[in-house]
Amino acid sequence: MIKKLFIQLLFIGISGFAFSQEMSVTGFVKSEQNVGLPFVKVQVKGVTTGVTTDGTGFYRLKVSDAANSTLLFSLTGYEKQEVKLNGRSTLDIILVELVNNQQEVIVGYGTAKSKEVTGATSKVNGENIEKMSVARVDQALQGQVAGVNIATNSGSPGGSSNIRIRGLSTFGDNDPLILVDGVVYDSEGLNALNPSDIKSINVLKDATAGIYGVRAANGVIIVETKKGNINSKPQVEYNAYWGQQQTSRKLDLLSAQEYAVIKNEMFAMGGQDMPFNNTNLGIGTPWQDSVFQTAPIQSHNLSISGGTMNTRYSIALGYFNQDGIVGGPKSNFSRYNARLNFSTDMSSKLKLNSVLLYSNDARSTLPENGIGSVLYNTINAFPNVPIRKPNGQFSYMEEVSDIINPIAQMQNQYNWNTANKIVGKEEFIYEFNDHLSFTNRVNYNVAFVDGKVFSPLVWYGDGKYANTAINDDLESPTVELAPGVEINRGAAVYEERSTFVDLTYESFLNYEKTFAENHKIKGTAGVSIFQREGSSLNGTAFGIPNNSVAYADISANTAQGGYLNNVGSWEFTERLVSSFLRAEYSFKEKYMFSGIVRRDGSSKFGANSRYGIFPTASAGWLLSEESFFKVKFIDYAKLRISYGVSGNDQIPNFAYRGLLNGEGVYVFDDLITQGVAIGRPSNPDLKWETTRQLNIGADFTFWKKLDFTTNYFIKNTFDLLFQPDVTAIIGSYGPGGYPPVINAGNVSNKGVELEFAYHLRKKKDFSTDLNFNVTTITNKVTKVPDGVDYIPGAGFSVGGDIATRFQEGYEIGYFFGYETAGIYQTQAEIDASGVVQDGAKPGDLIFVDQNGDGVINFNNDSDKTYLGSAIPDFTFGFSFNVRYKAFDLSGMLYSAIGQEIIRNYERQQPYANQLGYMVDRWTGEGSTNENPRVTTESTRNNLFSSYYVEDGSFARLKNVQLGYSFSAAKLKKIKVDSFRIYLSANNLFTLTRYQGFDPDLGSSGALSAGVDYGFYPQAKTFMGGVQLKF
Amino acid sequence: MRLFQKSLILTGLIILSLSQTACDKFLSVDPPYTQDVENFFQTPEDFDRALTGAYDMLQASFLTMWIGEIASDNAIAGGESVNDSPGLHQIDNMTHGGVNVELRNVFRWNYTGLTRANYILENKDNIDFPGKAHIIAEAKFLRAYYYFELVKYFGDVPLIIDKRIGIEEALQIARSPKAEVYAQIEKDLKDASEVLNPVASQKGRATKGAALSFLGKVYLYQNKFTEAAATLDEVIASGSYSLTPSYVDLFSVANENNSETVFDVQYTGLEGGSYGCLICLEGNAAVGFQGIRQYNGPVYGDGNSYNLPTQELYDAFSSIDGRRAATILDIDAFIATQPNPASITYAVGAGGHTGFYNNKYIKRQGEIGLPDNDLTSPVNYRVMRYSDVLLMAAEAHYQLGQTSTAQQLVNQVRGRAGVPGIPVNSIEVIYKERRFELSGEGLRFFDLVRTGQAATYIDGFVTGKHELFPIPQVEIDLTGGNWSQNPGY
Repeated sequence: MIKKLFIQLLFIGISGFAFSQEMSVTGFVKSEQNVGLPFVKVQVKGVTTGVTTDGTGFYRLKVSDAANSTLLFSLTGYEKQEVKLNGRSTLDIILVELVNNQQEVIVGYGTAKSKEVTGATSKVNGENIEKMSVARVDQALQGQVAGVNIATNSGSPGGSSNIRIRGLSTFGDNDPLILVDGVVYDSEGLNALNPSDIKSINVLKDATAGIYGVRAANGVIIVETKKGNINSKPQVEYNAYWGQQQTSRKLDLLSAQEYAVIKNEMFAMGGQDMPFNNTNLGIGTPWQDSVFQTAPIQSHNLSISGGTMNTRYSIALGYFNQDGIVGGPKSNFSRYNARLNFSTDMSSKLKLNSVLLYSNDARSTLPENGIGSVLYNTINAFPNVPIRKPNGQFSYMEEVSDIINPIAQMQNQYNWNTANKIVGKEEFIYEFNDHLSFTNRVNYNVAFVDGKVFSPLVWYGDGKYANTAINDDLESPTVELAPGVEINRGAAVYEERSTFVDLTYESFLNYEKTFAENHKIKGTAGVSIFQREGSSLNGTAFGIPNNSVAYADISANTAQGGYLNNVGSWEFTERLVSSFLRAEYSFKEKYMFSGIVRRDGSSKFGANSRYGIFPTASAGWLLSEESFFKVKFIDYAKLRISYGVSGNDQIPNFAYRGLLNGEGVYVFDDLITQGVAIGRPSNPDLKWETTRQLNIGADFTFWKKLDFTTNYFIKNTFDLLFQPDVTAIIGSYGPGGYPPVINAGNVSNKGVELEFAYHLRKKKDFSTDLNFNVTTITNKVTKVPDGVDYIPGAGFSVGGDIATRFQEGYEIGYFFGYETAGIYQTQAEIDASGVVQDGAKPGDLIFVDQNGDGVINFNNDSDKTYLGSAIPDFTFGFSFNVRYKAFDLSGMLYSAIGQEIIRNYERQQPYANQLGYMVDRWTGEGSTNENPRVTTESTRNNLFSSYYVEDGSFARLKNVQLGYSFSAAKLKKIKVDSFRIYLSANNLFTLTRYQGFDPDLGSSGALSAGVDYGFYPQAKTFMGGVQLKF
Repeated sequence: MRLFQKSLILTGLIILSLSQTACDKFLSVDPPYTQDVENFFQTPEDFDRALTGAYDMLQASFLTMWIGEIASDNAIAGGESVNDSPGLHQIDNMTHGGVNVELRNVFRWNYTGLTRANYILENKDNIDFPGKAHIIAEAKFLRAYYYFELVKYFGDVPLIIDKRIGIEEALQIARSPKAEVYAQIEKDLKDASEVLNPVASQKGRATKGAALSFLGKVYLYQNKFTEAAATLDEVIASGSYSLTPSYVDLFSVANENNSETVFDVQYTGLEGGSYGCLICLEGNAAVGFQGIRQYNGPVYGDGNSYNLPTQELYDAFSSIDGRRAATILDIDAFIATQPNPASITYAVGAGGHTGFYNNKYIKRQGEIGLPDNDLTSPVNYRVMRYSDVLLMAAEAHYQLGQTSTAQQLVNQVRGRAGVPGIPVNSIEVIYKERRFELSGEGLRFFDLVRTGQAATYIDGFVTGKHELFPIPQVEIDLTGGNWSQNPGY
């Protein structure tokens, strides 16, 4: 008390002396968590110049009239503070983070406070992306945003994910429009983006994304990279982590002994000789132990950011390298990034924003998630066979022609891709006055993509499909060029160089003015011109010397006279011309209305339907601003509604035209003669898909701590663009032939999204953030093309039945096959069943007679039924971030519930290995009601049925991280602003009943989702990292 | 700076006020360096290249080499297991239905072939040039070939002539009666035979003799014996063809396109290939597939043990008939005669084993294509040999009561094979001779059906059902479900 009084007295004294004198004011600006805040703008009220805080939150400001000045503290994302100086020379301030509804969000060609937003948008901050410690932003985004479902296409390094905003809405390309600083990135291209460069991600989910017109139907993801701050000292930041990865799962496969016993039984049951005289073979070869390995991962990022009076800059360098848990360096992803963000006021009215992103990424891959992939071979490899024979050669497993030794396969696989990408933006903003600005910008995205595949002469054993040599001495096949003229083919190398150049010019006016205090008007009007050109040149050369990867280049080929070598190329151009208009009006910041119209012209469509108009209307009501609204614990309440139309143009270029790009090759005079054939028939009426979406949403803040957002949406997509299987009689099923692209079919998605964010920052030493989101989506095909009952999708097994379908009344790509009801135990049971199941014997699967006609029909679909779908009923994301003193603990849990997976990685051949569950096969009456008998004779047990469908629900701890921050005071002595170390783990555990490698199993094709061919699983990774700022 | 700001604003304003015509022009992008479907057929070369494309689909005929044998009493499906090409196993067991990959491919690929021929014929009046008539004649021959395949397998099929159809139109098209399809085939072959050269300008092209021989076959399939005899006699009288001295060497690559060749589907091993698109291959996929499984030894190459001749076929031959060994490889007997039999190995596929392999079309060392060489055999498919012409003529003459002509023709064929002549005192004698001469060549099933003997010789064959294969169910669905399925399916 006395102390306080003393200080007050001191202040009064100082103010008295300091009257009218210039003096320095210093202090720290900190967050509620007691962490120094850099980049806070500190200025004297009424004076435009000012300073920004350094990395520790420290500032020093010259004030001319300390007694009467008021200081302003501002930082994006925080509440502004005004403090009367009252003559003080030191002033420490705590800034309070803005509640979500005050934060700025990007809405396309402009920004808005989230309070004013009438659409359904979500925002993720860069730190939540960076924290996930993954190579790609899509992997990091999984579970962070309600309504955005992300499934992994491959767990291999550099593998993509598919991003589905509000469900699957089309048969074809469901990818959202991804814009990085305004530049279009496709899903593959995300490999080039360093997650550490991201400042924020905004997701436009509803019809207000319609400002992007014909490309907006699948939603829009807007990524912004980091920028510097005005008037701040250079801040250097170094972040790095190192880790080790291992597989998150190995399968339970038969041991050699179990294998021998079961195969003997199988052959005996089939009336054939038993292959194993001795079944006492022990464990045998655990192929998975040799295929999976621990693999390193590391990431380094170095950045410098800062600014002067009228310039801001942020530059960064990044390096990332990840080996695969299958194949190690043969399945690798590495990336170098360089970034420059530069903004300057060229004059008082003209501002320049310049962004330059360079990346070099390289990926090597193994065959994965398909028949013949490394893991498919691993699962099916015989456990009784060693990896290598006593003579050192790889063992062959000749009994099954399409199973090859996976270790040999990995060794012989050389497949590289590199991409050099230069992405940038030059944006000029001319501010006529405070209300009107005019933006003109050019975006470019130049990508050079190189691929190389080396195919050495290899021998996997007699009759193997993958052999390129003619025997195990690796002799080359010869080719007869002309009678008597034979040359060796030798090892081959394929190279491809492609260039893609995207150019965008955009020009738009933004207007914002408040009239008579209560009437706020905002308007945006502009045009956008987009062009993408791509070209590619590829070649294959034979006769690579020494069968060695050291000479794997076309230039090294020894093919005599260049015979056999061949080349190819392709080119395309696509263009988009658009104009757009957005008008917004709000009254007293309580009632908000917005309208959008966009007109797009696309070169993807023919003259008959080249232009489309996409309107959207939306409104919001800030209920909590009403005087009658007196609910105490609700601080903020808003209701929103939007309805609008957007399009999807993601089809191949020139799909409306019939092209002679088919293959018409025949042999005349013993020589290959090139002819022509129609590739894809024409469809001049082809047009974009149209999505009409209604969104009703509400945002609340309770007790100043809990933000809650909910959305209900109905999203109907019409005139789906796709290339369904069409009738043979139009004659498009030749080599190089494709079915035409047509508009047919409708899909509906309805769903509810809930997002909760809880912030507790009561005490100085303790804070908690919890985020939880839930999404449920009902997906339904509401129309299929005329005259078609369904569109067949993915096949089951090798040459087997079609297992997935696109059919009215069901989810896209639902599973369709026979339903099983246990195992026939006895002949008597079969006889008494009242159902004729052709060929059924005791030990066979019981198929359910769906149509009740007393016969299981194997010739048509009358007894097949719905067996599930790959679309989850619910997805959940939960993240937490707890700080106590210098420690912080964070984690992210993702769960998808209610989807099914087709077990399709078992090669249904007598000698192929099988999963451990076959130990519990049917061996006689009463032995089991689960798994059928084994036999080499023909049964129907391998038809696609519910026996092969498993529950794919899972919950996964994607990331957990424990960090320690060293004390700022101590660091200050060594001129370090902050230093944090952490331990982190990705995919530490996964709860699931699914038997396969990984239940988080995506597919870029809508109809092949949920079909598991031996999926490359995501790694379980343990990492340690540092974050250093000075 | 002023000037820069002004020009920037000006540029922006110009862009903002883009005119509609400028937009239209900017958005009309032609596919670079690509010829378009609608502006083709501007030069003779265009016609020639489209014709090559129409020939391409002939290579789909390897399926007939399988199905024509496997469906009959000549062969079993074989393969790695019964799940290896299950469609062929179903056909083998006469349990095939509306879902069958191989039958769907037959349906699709032949329609693609005739569509490519129709594309030429649709544009036949575009330009005139010397040689156009021959190209048109070849296109008609090809269309007839593809329709004949379809009608043999499926009976009534939609008949599309001189045009391409779109998705909408496809929904309106019904199956045309078999007789109408045959009438079109006859017309096309007659037209073709009047123009085609007697001697092909290039090995592989259709000739007058080929058109007439197929016309004769088409008549025979309809029991039009008078027309068949006359047409086939014309081929014989032309003197263009003669039987080669050695039956044994007939099927080697070295002996392709000889005096006995009336029409071959041409294959080459000069282009590699992989599974997944068998129709994209330029090699004969059937030959590698029919090779000996995991064979390690002289003379032959390793294959997939498809389409294995039966003991019954082997036994049907007289032991003095050299055609038995030329047609059927008895693998164990062959190995026993080799210098070091113990070092020769092969595997038995779980899809069935008879001890026999198709010795006409089998992977032999020295006839191996590029990888994957199971798929790229250079061995041509001899779809019309002169001996077939002679035996068809014999059959037609016999049916017309001209037994001595028939006997002379049969014994001409037997003579070349080095077996003594026989009296032709019943039609069955000719039928049997066809089997001895033509087994392994994909004809047997269709011969048994057309001569009404199928139920006698094929286990599980149901009269009134199995004469035709079912239309693939999905094809019925994709055209609106308006077609009725073939009887019994």
